[in-house]
Amino acid sequence: MDPQAKSDTVVIPESSRIPHASVWMREHSPLDLWRAMFREDRFFLVLSVFIGVFSGLAVVCFRFAIDWSRLYLLGTGVELTRARLLLAPTLAGLVIAVLVIRFFPATRGSGVNQTKAALYIYNGHIPFRTAIGKFITAALAIGSGHSLGPEDPSLQIGAALASVIGRKMRLSRDRMRLIAPVGAAAGLAAAFNAPISAVLFVIEEVIGRWTAGILGSVVLSAVSSVVVMRWFLGSESLFRIPAVELRRPSELIAYAALGVVGGLASVTFSSGIATLRPRCKALPRWTQYFQPAIAGLLIGIIAALGAPQVMGAGYEYIDQAMHGQFTWEFLAILAGLKILATLLSFVSGTPGGMFAPTLFIGAMLGAAVGGAEHYFLPHLTISPGTYALVGMGVLFAGFLRAPMTSVFMVLEVSGNYSIIVPVIIANTFAYVISRGLQPIAIFDMLTRQDGLELPSMEEQREEGILHVEDAMQRVRGPVLDAERTLDEALREADHTELRHLLVRMSPSGWSTVSKDELFSMSAKGKGGATLGSLLDEEQVPYLHPDHPLETALRYVDRWPIIPVVSRANFQQLEGVISERDVLERYREFGEG
Amino acid sequence: MFEEQEDAVKTEGLVNYRFYLRQRPVMLGVFTALAVIFFLFTSGLARLYRAQRESLGTRWFSRGVAELNAKNYSGAVNDFRAALLYSRDNYTYQLNLAEALLGLKRTGQASAYLLNLWDREPEDGLVNLELARIASGQGQVQQAIRFYHDAIYAAWASDEEWKRRDARLELIELLLGAKQQEQAEAELIALSANVGDDPQQQEQIGTLFLRAQDYEHALRAFRITLKSERRNPAALAGAGEAAFELGRYSLAEHYLQSAVAANPNDQQSADRLKTTELVLQMDPFRRQITTAERNRIVVQAFQLAGQRLSNCALPKSVTPGPASTQPSLSDQWTSLKPQVTEANLRRDPDLVESTMDLVLQIERQTSVVCGTPSGTDLALLLIAKLHEGNQ
Repeated sequence: MDPQAKSDTVVIPESSRIPHASVWMREHSPLDLWRAMFREDRFFLVLSVFIGVFSGLAVVCFRFAIDWSRLYLLGTGVELTRARLLLAPTLAGLVIAVLVIRFFPATRGSGVNQTKAALYIYNGHIPFRTAIGKFITAALAIGSGHSLGPEDPSLQIGAALASVIGRKMRLSRDRMRLIAPVGAAAGLAAAFNAPISAVLFVIEEVIGRWTAGILGSVVLSAVSSVVVMRWFLGSESLFRIPAVELRRPSELIAYAALGVVGGLASVTFSSGIATLRPRCKALPRWTQYFQPAIAGLLIGIIAALGAPQVMGAGYEYIDQAMHGQFTWEFLAILAGLKILATLLSFVSGTPGGMFAPTLFIGAMLGAAVGGAEHYFLPHLTISPGTYALVGMGVLFAGFLRAPMTSVFMVLEVSGNYSIIVPVIIANTFAYVISRGLQPIAIFDMLTRQDGLELPSMEEQREEGILHVEDAMQRVRGPVLDAERTLDEALREADHTELRHLLVRMSPSGWSTVSKDELFSMSAKGKGGATLGSLLDEEQVPYLHPDHPLETALRYVDRWPIIPVVSRANFQQLEGVISERDVLERYREFGEG
Repeated sequence: MFEEQEDAVKTEGLVNYRFYLRQRPVMLGVFTALAVIFFLFTSGLARLYRAQRESLGTRWFSRGVAELNAKNYSGAVNDFRAALLYSRDNYTYQLNLAEALLGLKRTGQASAYLLNLWDREPEDGLVNLELARIASGQGQVQQAIRFYHDAIYAAWASDEEWKRRDARLELIELLLGAKQQEQAEAELIALSANVGDDPQQQEQIGTLFLRAQDYEHALRAFRITLKSERRNPAALAGAGEAAFELGRYSLAEHYLQSAVAANPNDQQSADRLKTTELVLQMDPFRRQITTAERNRIVVQAFQLAGQRLSNCALPKSVTPGPASTQPSLSDQWTSLKPQVTEANLRRDPDLVESTMDLVLQIERQTSVVCGTPSGTDLALLLIAKLHEGNQ
């Protein structure tokens, strides 16, 4: 057996072993058990389930409210009268404007950034009235035909409910900060009937980092909310998924083309918001009472002119596009009109989400590209439905800039893993084009327009991380051996100008010694003693080259030099690092 | 100072401790109760919501069915689409929408719905039948045949057995149209076995057998019809045609006479009857005629063949046999002409054989070059075909 391997074997001390449950029960009082149950980290998991249940119930009611609004405002059939098409979104816009300006100012917009703000600025605090306001105004807006979706409002409603529960439970500040994303995941999962995508989105866009502490809670809340939602609304997905099959690898080129088109559409969409939203906000305050109504009227005109499909979330039309119910020319027109309608609704400050319109535009664009390719290249066997499915992911990646969520969303919605390669290819093209032409992601742009400075998840993802190997120096002086005598060590040290030297301890470990210390010990007549016997028992910690540089910061102020050793052999020195090296590297990094 | 701070921290810790031990469980209980109340409230709303959607779906579906029955397909499409808003996966709604779309000739959209239904229930007869019709309309014969077969062997309700027969009939029509006679015959035989003695269906099957040129089965089918409907003009005409094509001219004459009597406007049967009568009159090989009568017929046939020959200019190369050294039909006819008299025929019975042999050869060759003749020439050609086996 390799002695190195033997020395690395982890031995669990007696005191650290996990006792059997019965032993634990015998040794602890019921009070200990009670206390353990309500310890905050465990209690937080229990709360996550509650948050999921409440969010799921709220989202179910929200869905009912949207549908009832639609029924009573627009009618029950598919052929809507012109009067309703024009009046319903206009009048609803007026009511919404009054509600938002007078009673629920925090409900404006989609809700994703408000949830991020709760996490980073307000310590997880979201007023309960925000949930109420979002529920009412978004249901009215979507139901009356404004081109917005229910997912982002559901996310905000979930976050607000979680915040209320957290406050009532007097959670610590750290937990309160995390509770909004837990609720957000629950709300989004229930609205979208896709727990994995919801978890990924919240991690990718709201929290911005993977931590074990929060992941468990987010997953628990998302799953419990989806269970509740399915209890009432069934497990069927938002649209029926057509059969997906990739017969020839050459067809991937067609998907790449879809990625390019989707990327350009995403840029058009986000540029429209970037340009129009600040202008609408800059208009006199009194105009804000009319902006949603004017947006509603314009959407009503689009609908009355022959495209009622652009109204509301439009999931039924995504379903129809997937099943070849429209010609490719009409699909392309619908994609363009939906971008226009959503721009109007969103920049007017009407509360509602961007997810559903993004999926709608993506599906229409995808089916249009698929239909056109099928028309001009009839030998391609892929159905427009498959393109529509991939198109949804493309817009998600290009417009919302959530690349991981975009891939998993399509997988989760379709339940078909053979689509993964086309999705990745198309999404990558869309993401790269969108990122190249529109450097600031939509959510970051919206926060900046609102005067907030929230961390950019995209920038965080792409931020370079410095490692120990970026700052370490090669070993220039001698490395002393602890088995040697002090006199031998002095002779070796005599040849170097370094003030501090590393000492290789026996059988393992490292220490440091200064030349002054060596001379001082020699002057005390200890020249014949081994170096190991003269040094402190406390050893110097060692680092590995791949450690983040911030790990080195924990040690460099206590020891003048830290050894950097190989992970395969801790006695093999790769370099050394000092406080000066670390600071110098950070300075260079900061200067770009 | 430090002691005071320590006390404050202890007090705060005690408060938190009390909160954790007492208030958190209480709050958890409160939230559990709230969750139950919220759940019950949502359940009530859900029941209301579902009932309303079901009612709306049913209402729009009923309107759609009425529109469909009135052949207002456009209205029906809108109504069924509205019904599907409230019950997206409802099989019946989708099927009716597909039928309405077919009524509007929007086969692409109808096909999308039907294929979706087919995915869910591949054994649904009606869906297979509609898909077969669409494929047939688009000229996709093999796909249509597959869907027709699936429709034929699908599960139909007991009161919808006729639809299975219709599917098979449509398949036969498709096969006949695609010149796949053998498959069509096979389907017809299977169909014939299934329909029993139903006179109308047997008549329909007989007609299809005629189109498939399976005259034996056609005659059998028409005879079944005629057992119960003796005066059925279509069956009589069909039976006459089948017997005629089989060369059973006496039987054909019987049926065709009855057919013309039953339906004097049936010109096709009347024409066929005339030909049949000519065949019967002009066949010198038929039994129960006197020698004199036979000789007269031969002389008449010889003269008709000569006229046919002169009307139809045969190329010089056309000879009765394989060797080009043989004289042409015209030369043969000319050389034989002086011999073909009733007296010579009476003296030399072998001359009857050789004369009729030449006559039948002339009719065959002229029909190849100048097309199917009519009247007496046609009768002679049919006699030639009738006695081909004896040559």
